[in-house]
Amino acid sequence: MVTVAPLEPAIQQSRFLRIDPERGRFLVHRSAYASPEVYEEEKRRILRRSWIILGHDCELPAKGDFIVRPVIDRELIFNRDVNGRVNAFFNTCRHRGAAVCREPRGNRKRFVCPYHGWAYRSSGELFDQNATFGYGERFNDDGFYDLTKVPRLEQRAGFWFVSFDPTVPPLEDYLAEAGPLLDEIAEHSVAGLRVVRGCHEYEIKANYKLICENSYDGYHLNLTHASYVDYMKTMVKGLVNIDIRGRARSLGNGHACFELRIPTGRPVAQWLPVWGEEARMQIEAKRSELEARLGAEKADRIANVNRNMVLFPNSIINDQQTILMRTVTPMAHNRMIIRAWSFGPADESPVLRRIRNECTLSFLGPGGFATPDDVEMLELCQRGYETSDVEWNDISKGYHAGEHPLRDENPHFDNELQMRAYWYRWNELMSAAE
Amino acid sequence: MDPALLLRLRVEDFLYSEAALLDAWKLKDWLALYAPDARYEIAPTGEPEAATLASSEALFLVADDRERLEQRVIRLLKPSAHAEYPHSRVRHLYSNVRARNGADGDVEATSHFVAFRSKRSITATFMGQHLWRLAPHDDSFRIRLKRTVLDLDALVPQGKVSFLL
Repeated sequence: MVTVAPLEPAIQQSRFLRIDPERGRFLVHRSAYASPEVYEEEKRRILRRSWIILGHDCELPAKGDFIVRPVIDRELIFNRDVNGRVNAFFNTCRHRGAAVCREPRGNRKRFVCPYHGWAYRSSGELFDQNATFGYGERFNDDGFYDLTKVPRLEQRAGFWFVSFDPTVPPLEDYLAEAGPLLDEIAEHSVAGLRVVRGCHEYEIKANYKLICENSYDGYHLNLTHASYVDYMKTMVKGLVNIDIRGRARSLGNGHACFELRIPTGRPVAQWLPVWGEEARMQIEAKRSELEARLGAEKADRIANVNRNMVLFPNSIINDQQTILMRTVTPMAHNRMIIRAWSFGPADESPVLRRIRNECTLSFLGPGGFATPDDVEMLELCQRGYETSDVEWNDISKGYHAGEHPLRDENPHFDNELQMRAYWYRWNELMSAAE
Repeated sequence: MDPALLLRLRVEDFLYSEAALLDAWKLKDWLALYAPDARYEIAPTGEPEAATLASSEALFLVADDRERLEQRVIRLLKPSAHAEYPHSRVRHLYSNVRARNGADGDVEATSHFVAFRSKRSITATFMGQHLWRLAPHDDSFRIRLKRTVLDLDALVPQGKVSFLL
């Protein structure tokens, strides 16, 4: 259970929050989304001092595999070196700065700068300057000119995270109660995870925190996604008992999720009649395997609970029809780039892989039946902030007079507890003495 | 007339009428051009092998069979398809059409396209290639495959594919 400190007056009335326990109001100031100055401040105070997701171990199956990936405003080489070790380097030559890696991904034993030819091993060591004279023997005897590693790189359950702050607490502590939920994803299969080829990469003209809020917002489902709900009802005809149960959970340190028991089907491991008999047998076998390995309670949770999670401040992991990892790269206060990858068990059958891909596409992604409408809503919100003098956003749902805003006395999936947990943490970091 | 040239003209004529229905948002008429076993696909951006990837093995932007394509059309004609309410203005330009008779009686064609989408004073441009498989039908064709291969590394700045390419 996440411990919740009593509200201090300074938090109730800060630059960014207004909490009114008598009225059950929780307000966030819109400058947090719409001000370029606030954005610069939060880059300094929050984004560069947190743990940010970089990728999953299974994206680098072989020694030498690399991926160039942006994190916040930095471009990194995420690779598995020839010794099998995973690294995160800044993609810049130590000589004059050119990018040493120009392909988005591939397999390389060395990175050679195209400008003057400085050459680095996959482990980052400079081993050649493409010069027969001009450098002494001791020039790099302390490794000063090796590729620069990101200050911190740690993993949990195969998910690799980086931090640009050498003093950040260990990832284990940072993740708090979100850590075991990542572990649970790793338990979908003893064979581990496999990333599906292809990435959904798209821009949203809105503040990056809006996609974080949207990712675990249960409240918007019925209206924003009315046309998707119509589609689902058509597709699952014969499935009458659509019973949605769920709750929002605060996981500590600003992390939160919402969990939903909803019969949308999952390759791991909830069958839908429209998927056919072959899929039914395979999903039932998967379900039995989960029960035998993990026990009935955990197997039920893995098979039937959809979970959307935001790891503060901007890493998104959804565990639903597929495992979806979303990185959120803020480009400005009102612009972001989303990158999303889909993961499934490494030993999943072709039938279930196909079902996984189809389910993922039909809802998620910039060509799906739902995500384009989310993008539309976020851009409408940003526009509202930038074309009005209205100052406050409301995230009070589920917060009643006299209650603590981070305790959900009557848990419900479409309450806004998860957002309050986020903003509470965000406000703490923005208000701390620098 | 040279039969190859005639085939290209017939295919071009058909594709232009397909584009005209898209630009006019006459999506039900557009859907009627698709065969019962049709597939409508938009391959992932940033994938060098997008033209040949199987949608069962990769994260496509769209990979519809005829049933889901119909659902897509139904959705796009509703006000609750928010990203396209009110409908954006779209314009599809097709060119560089090449067509040949395939072994199985279908016509295989490729064309280049640029599609513009305008909404709230913002215009997004999409460009790439279409791969077509067309089944002869009466004097015309029915579409069995339309695969879009975008010449884009990412949907930046386009943001989404909320209309039909």
